[in-house]
Amino acid sequence: MDAETLAARADARRRWGLAAPAVAIITLFSILPLGVVLVYSFLAPGDFGNVRWQLSFEGWFSVLFERDIFDDTISLSDAHLTILGRSVALSLATTLITLVLGLPTAWFIATRPLHQRAFWLFLITIPFWTNLLVRTIAVQEMIRSEGVFNRLFLWLGLIDAPIQMMFTNFAVLVGMAYVFLPLMVLPVYSAIEKFDFRLAEAGYDLYASRAYCLRRVILPMVRPGIIAGSILVFVPSLGAYVTPRIMGGGKSMMLGNLIEMQFGQGRNWPLGAALSLTLTALVLAALIWYTRLTSGGRRNG
Amino acid sequence: MLDLHRLTKSFGKGDSAVTALHEVSFSIAEGEFFTLLGPSGCGKTTLLRLIAGFEPPSGGALVLDGRDIAHVPPNQRPVNTVFQNYALFPHMTVAENVGFALGAQGRPRAEIAATVERMLALVKLSHLAGRKSAALSGGQQQRVALARALAARPRILLLDEPLSALDMKLRKEMQVELKRLQQETGLTFIFVTHDQEEALTMSDRIAVMAGGRIQQIASPRDLYDQPANRFVAGFIGETNFLPAHCTAGRLTLPQAAAPLPVPHADGPVTVMIRPEHVALGQARPDALVLTAQVDRLVYFGTDTHVHLHLSDGSPLVARVQNALRGGQPCAAGQTIPVSLPGEALRLLPCDEAA
Repeated sequence: MDAETLAARADARRRWGLAAPAVAIITLFSILPLGVVLVYSFLAPGDFGNVRWQLSFEGWFSVLFERDIFDDTISLSDAHLTILGRSVALSLATTLITLVLGLPTAWFIATRPLHQRAFWLFLITIPFWTNLLVRTIAVQEMIRSEGVFNRLFLWLGLIDAPIQMMFTNFAVLVGMAYVFLPLMVLPVYSAIEKFDFRLAEAGYDLYASRAYCLRRVILPMVRPGIIAGSILVFVPSLGAYVTPRIMGGGKSMMLGNLIEMQFGQGRNWPLGAALSLTLTALVLAALIWYTRLTSGGRRNG
Repeated sequence: MLDLHRLTKSFGKGDSAVTALHEVSFSIAEGEFFTLLGPSGCGKTTLLRLIAGFEPPSGGALVLDGRDIAHVPPNQRPVNTVFQNYALFPHMTVAENVGFALGAQGRPRAEIAATVERMLALVKLSHLAGRKSAALSGGQQQRVALARALAARPRILLLDEPLSALDMKLRKEMQVELKRLQQETGLTFIFVTHDQEEALTMSDRIAVMAGGRIQQIASPRDLYDQPANRFVAGFIGETNFLPAHCTAGRLTLPQAAAPLPVPHADGPVTVMIRPEHVALGQARPDALVLTAQVDRLVYFGTDTHVHLHLSDGSPLVARVQNALRGGQPCAAGQTIPVSLPGEALRLLPCDEAA
């Protein structure tokens, strides 16, 4: 064995040594708990929560199906499917709303003079200083039946009775869009900031209308920022707990609330574990789609 | 075809306003290679941006083919630009870049493909059609930018210092290439540069700019031989300036032995003479004859620059063509007679600062 190989091995050892704390933390607090959840999802529920150590596929089965209490016929679980569908739909809608609102905002900030941008970015980050609960309740104050909007509309004579906005999908959507908007603005901003505006000028010089320029020159070049922002909004939306709890109540539940219910009053830990893993799988699918999109983008441009 | 009439551009408002262009007026003819030449900050790029439509003028008219286009947006002007940094779209292939203008105009796919092919052949880049523009060398990017700007057959092609990012050898090649393209396409080119050699070798006419004003518009030869003022004389080529005086049709130079008859109004003037016209060694008739001391000689291959100073200390440079045999024209430290031939002298008004 020559000196070079020995040196390379020592180097590899050093690298592993440096990585060790991170590896230990990930193993202890991420992989291990995930393993526990995985194991629990294949066990039977205990009488007062917890699990009985007995192999059972009932938890996974109940994610999508239900058994009739009387004749044991199997059917798709409407309640779970509705919540699953609502989670995905609301998360997609949240992503779309934050994109529609966030893109112009990011554009506005990125086109300010350099010394003003820090100020506008600072304004975007202010909501992060406040607790999520407080922010969500603030939105609730705006749209509840005796809230700011309803009172304003009543006073203006636009409506005769308060509009029921709370505890609907709309309320959850408003809450989530508000809470996650900065997560869209920041990556899109950083993409637009890197954009060379002389390219837009070139497009404009070459007979492109503003819309054509936006579609063919600007959007393709800020696409990585839009994709990153969409993932940053979509992933936490899918698992959102606080916002749908406050804004949607028991009527507009999302996946996060359903999982919490199984571990709480539902006392069905295996089902909760199976639902958690379903959520993880959805997130993973979104992330794989994201990597495909971005790496494909790099290959082609 | 293009007429600029008292075109003015100011930036800012009120007291802090800066005027970048002062009432610029000139006309460009169909098929002309017209160059805007000047030092940085002279307003040449501002003028180009006004013609392209990126900035509205503060005053004056910009008339193309009889229509005032001063406030027409750039995407509705039949004018295309080759940008200084090329501004190619990095996410598109070479062919997509070249076809962009036609696509934006909504031309049929087949027509775009045919035009792209023709344009790429014109700039000799057909083999790179499918390549991403970011993966090209500087010279290749330059050619793509040219093909892209030419694809929609503009009435006028604007070129904003397109060669400044290229190295010396490539720049010389592209100068020839650009001139060839201009002659082949018969298009009107407006070329912006700060490089006088580039301007002299390529242009039909040159507008020399300084301080937001046109100093002179002339052919390269006239610009060199008949500069309108001291700025133009100093900016184009090397030159000597000597303060002098005109009295009763005779030019008196304090250092000269005798005055020279000239058709010029009385008063103080600046005498300008190119180094290659300064004759060393003998006193010639019809010339201002001076005595000068040789400071040093600088050998340049084809010629030798002789740095001299006159009796009052003012410097004078002569350029002597090197003969195959014969050695140096003079030696440092020598005092020799110097003739400034009357036909090579240019008398410029001397009231302005250089």
